[in-house]
Amino acid sequence: MIYEYDAVVVGAGNGGLTAAATLCREGIRTVLLEKHNLPGGVASSFVRGRFEFEASLHELCGVGTADSPGSVRKLFSKLGADADFINEKNLFRTIVTGQDGYDVTLESGWDAFRASFVRACPGAGKSLDRLEKLFRKTDEALRYNDKKKGRPNKLVMMMKYGKFLISASHPLDDVLRYLGFSLRERLILETYWSYLGVPAYELNAFHYFEMLKGYIDGGAGIPPHKSYGLSLSLADVILKNGGEIRYNTEVTGFIYGEDGRVTGVYAGGDEYRAKHVISNVIPNNVFEMSDLKHVPRKDRKLVNARKLGISFICIYLGLDRTAEELGIKDYSVFIAHRQSSRGQADADMGMYVVNCLNVAVPEATPEGTCSLFFTVPVFSNGMMKNVTPENYAAFKSETARKYIEDYEKTLGVSIKDSIEEISVSTPATFARYFGAPNGTAYGYELSGWDGVMARTLSLGSELDIKGLSFCGGHSASGDGFGVSYESGVKAAEKAIADIRGERGE
Amino acid sequence: MKKTEKIKLSISKFLKIIPDRLKRIESASDGRPKPRSSYKPNALAEALHPRVQHLTVTETRDLSSDVRLFTLRPDASRGTDRLAPFSAGQYITVFVRVGDRVLSRPYSITSAPYEASEKYEIAVKRKNNGGVSDRIHETWRPGTSVDVSEPMGVFTYEPLRDAADVVAVAGGVGVTPFRSIVRSVLHGDCAARLTLIYGARDRESLLFFDEFSASAESGAIRFIPVTENGDGAVRGVIGADIISEYAPDTAYSLFICGPQAMYRALEKQLPALGLRRKYVRAEVFGQITDPWNEPDATVPDRDVYTLTVRRNGAEEQILCRADESLLSAMERAGIDAPSRCRSGECGFCHSRLVTGECFIPERCDRRREADAVYGYVHPCCAFPRSDLTLEINPV
Repeated sequence: MIYEYDAVVVGAGNGGLTAAATLCREGIRTVLLEKHNLPGGVASSFVRGRFEFEASLHELCGVGTADSPGSVRKLFSKLGADADFINEKNLFRTIVTGQDGYDVTLESGWDAFRASFVRACPGAGKSLDRLEKLFRKTDEALRYNDKKKGRPNKLVMMMKYGKFLISASHPLDDVLRYLGFSLRERLILETYWSYLGVPAYELNAFHYFEMLKGYIDGGAGIPPHKSYGLSLSLADVILKNGGEIRYNTEVTGFIYGEDGRVTGVYAGGDEYRAKHVISNVIPNNVFEMSDLKHVPRKDRKLVNARKLGISFICIYLGLDRTAEELGIKDYSVFIAHRQSSRGQADADMGMYVVNCLNVAVPEATPEGTCSLFFTVPVFSNGMMKNVTPENYAAFKSETARKYIEDYEKTLGVSIKDSIEEISVSTPATFARYFGAPNGTAYGYELSGWDGVMARTLSLGSELDIKGLSFCGGHSASGDGFGVSYESGVKAAEKAIADIRGERGE
Repeated sequence: MKKTEKIKLSISKFLKIIPDRLKRIESASDGRPKPRSSYKPNALAEALHPRVQHLTVTETRDLSSDVRLFTLRPDASRGTDRLAPFSAGQYITVFVRVGDRVLSRPYSITSAPYEASEKYEIAVKRKNNGGVSDRIHETWRPGTSVDVSEPMGVFTYEPLRDAADVVAVAGGVGVTPFRSIVRSVLHGDCAARLTLIYGARDRESLLFFDEFSASAESGAIRFIPVTENGDGAVRGVIGADIISEYAPDTAYSLFICGPQAMYRALEKQLPALGLRRKYVRAEVFGQITDPWNEPDATVPDRDVYTLTVRRNGAEEQILCRADESLLSAMERAGIDAPSRCRSGECGFCHSRLVTGECFIPERCDRRREADAVYGYVHPCCAFPRSDLTLEINPV
């Protein structure tokens, strides 16, 4: 069958949902096609026994409070989604064991952040001043750049915003050194690096600072009904505004016109024609489903040049004791046994994060219970090297045991006896549900030449295929819930201009 | 503390961002990107979770007057080279054509994981109601082509969670997942110390009796057969008394699998066993066909309601009895609605309840919190309490 729409959105992940919601609210006839039977992609949850587990979200940055909303809260309310968030006071606790190790908890809000940081690192005051100044200058530079519609006067940028240009073009660890932070201070400040999947010596400083600011400003925001609640709230916006969502509908081909313009997709044996297609699906997969002669040579090269982002092993535990009874006090703990992010990224048992949702949302599990969520970044497939379909279940169980025991030892708690439910996901799980190559959850690695600044400066000259826009963690702004939501809105705006015959970006 | 070494950074690097990037991109190939299937996680996912497995019935064997064992092997001629591995206790959903409809029913895999390199075995009890099980008994012969799902389910032994001692309580054909676990124990793949308490009407209805007896004689498991007349077995109906008599003195995990009536009876007696909730695991075996027997059942104000089914934008009105699930009503009306476990657990039938009220037994409500907030249901265990409109997602 042939269906005709103004816009087709491929994939109901975070970006696809906000893209479709934005289109529908503008009265664009839209269908959202999703291969799974649920919306959200990684923004999902699952039920085991009496527990519902958050599948992927730790916390959102840029949420802010109801009185002083941040970008994410604003985005949801602008779309008319009835999403709610709970703010968590602490940013994280970070533990590095061994000689020169530390155990530090940082709080959100500028004053509390500064106080908690200086408590842990008494000599850091001056460097923190310089960091805050850099943040201010960065905001000014971005405002100036917006005012000049992305074509700033180079001389002005260099004279007035030199520090911004430095942070925008150097790795995080170098910039923190430049600002005068000691090794220990840098390591603590860099704790969030795993959220962007790139060690601090390769991660773009500007990019990291934007995220850090989001966390310090508004604190961590956590949706009360798991990230799946956010996904359903966006699906609701689409349906209420006359959009259609077709689940269990996997796109298998992209259709191009003679002029190279994307004119639709094939899915489930049907053809969906559209004036504009938005792909929440990573370009690798789109090109795999395209006649390559239509894909510009430079974009084929771009995709082949890029390195895929990291994936994860996650361990979900439902425990039949409360967090209090078990002695678990932190919402979020980062644990490592090596100092630098280089060592942490390269090694098995390098670093991992453990969240206890009940600390932030007490009613997240039934009374008398709590849940723990372990996240282990998988940087290469070294960890999965010896895994076969036959020993996969045993691999999951052994991996879980290893991390659970390490957590017990590091925190001095005992949880094994309280496990009522356990589930483990791996890169194969990500590959299964999202189809992303190598099971990546983060799109492309944001390192070096493919960092956020390089991508942003190249907007408009890359992946510039007529009738097609991309959104999601693989797009210019990189991974993360907040930026993925925003990427969908941006893609929709571009699509709307295209559909209405206005000049796009 | 070590003094921080000074570092100089230059803004000129900013100007190199684009040239660097272009150079990197230019040096890459302009060929087809590596296909997804060439990545290990994707290949693993494909092997573990095939959308469909094309199999052939190779042997059949009657286990009792109404239960038949079917051996299924991969059908390479239709594209399935090898079976997806599974964990002992999991099930597959089989797709059966009845007239012009394809119906699906879940059956526990009763062979062991180590045998999955060559075969799955399932045991099907004939219900004599003109349904899927009759169809299977009537038409499946050696050589019959059969399509099944990937292995599914979480009724498996997990040493990190479960006690080292496991008491498996089975009723009737509900013994099938335990036979898989027993065979895993025998093969050395499962470290649980297993006591199998297996109840049936009479000696003839105890499936795999000789196999379990032999396993018990070898000392690999303990086997306690229970029949109503006590013929060659413990006399009675499995309850807290029989369980506590044969259960070990130390902490043990209780695994339960059997007909609905057995659950309801056992559920009431569980407190007497004093087990931590984490040590009780029940496989919801078969769909609820008598919702009025659920402790939280609400009383319908009519016998039959109108169910408007929406799919891909088209609507169709059918009738749904108050005592049948929305899924059953759709199947009766010839609508191919998605389903797998038929017991509320797997979520494959997840659908949007656009309007109307349902009764969802608390025992099988495995929806996510937000599903309830935004009006989504699992039609396999939702019973109408008003006229309703349901939006389903055909596969």
